[in-house]
Amino acid sequence: MSITKLTTNGLNGTKYDNVSADNYYMEPIATTLVGAGGSSAVTFSNIPQGYKHLQVRGIATFSSGTNAIILQANGDTGSNYAWHQMYGTGSAAGSNGATSTSTANISVAPTTGVVGVFITDVLDYANTSKYKTYRSLTGYDANGSGVIALRSVLWMNTGAITSLSLKYDTGVSFAQNTRFSLYGIKG
Amino acid sequence: MAFTYSKLAEVTVGAGGTSAITFNNIPQNYNDLIVKLSIRWSNAGPDGIYVSFNGSTASFTSRIIEASGSAASSSTPARLVGGLEGTGYTASTFGNAELYIPNYTSSNNKSFSADSVTENNATAAYSQLIAGLWSNVTAITSLSLTPSSGTFIQYSTAYLYGVKAEV
Repeated sequence: MSITKLTTNGLNGTKYDNVSADNYYMEPIATTLVGAGGSSAVTFSNIPQGYKHLQVRGIATFSSGTNAIILQANGDTGSNYAWHQMYGTGSAAGSNGATSTSTANISVAPTTGVVGVFITDVLDYANTSKYKTYRSLTGYDANGSGVIALRSVLWMNTGAITSLSLKYDTGVSFAQNTRFSLYGIKG
Repeated sequence: MAFTYSKLAEVTVGAGGTSAITFNNIPQNYNDLIVKLSIRWSNAGPDGIYVSFNGSTASFTSRIIEASGSAASSSTPARLVGGLEGTGYTASTFGNAELYIPNYTSSNNKSFSADSVTENNATAAYSQLIAGLWSNVTAITSLSLTPSSGTFIQYSTAYLYGVKAEV
């Protein structure tokens, strides 16, 4: 039987709240907010292995160029990824990708100073019978331009994911107030 | 206060594969359902994942935008909620899809959405954004997922979650 009510007795009388304490399956694991100096990469290390799925959420900006965010697993910087996307620009839709690449692109590439966002889901991240497929919804709008995309990334490795690193594909640093958060979803 | 996911059921396909993944006796005390899918199927080419509710394949309609890795298109395939990698795709690769069914117990028609990707270390890989409708006012008590033919293969997984909101 799950706990449905908590009761406290204090100076101001009895108080109670109705709760459901049996099933909270999505939990925050870690979050990083980039400070004034910027950051070339954000890494979530020692990812607990007790969840079934991971979700990474991000809102990011940078100071120069046009850059996409890549999400590399377990420090793998080799050409062990493939990615594909379906995108729309407001005037056209299309699809493209890359194979045997080190750039595991999970986000679209906004222009300088524009904020881009993404939510990336990795199912069965600790399953050693599968390669890892990411699904990422991402986009930005720059008041006259922008892109919305559904992206996928394949990490061709059956190893359990124990760390995830985020960086721009061109090596540009994340600017202040960029935030990345990692969540675990139980199964 | 909104509550996050509560897991209701989980299926992992065994060595023999399965022609359908079914969740029966879905509890009726949640607001929404979410199904997370990591699936591959037994035939060579790509295929789709098709849903039925309460054993019914009738009264489904949909709108999708889909991409192949080289082009985007739009169509109206009824009951489609995701794509499937076939055996001709990169080995050990499974899709990643999520089906969202809000207000599944309501006495209104049931709208649902899905986003799905498949992957492949080659040009061809399919992704879909799907808006679907089951024109039936009955509460959803069971949900089944199937390919168009063949089977889902070993290591395919499906997870059913309930989402509940309480004030």
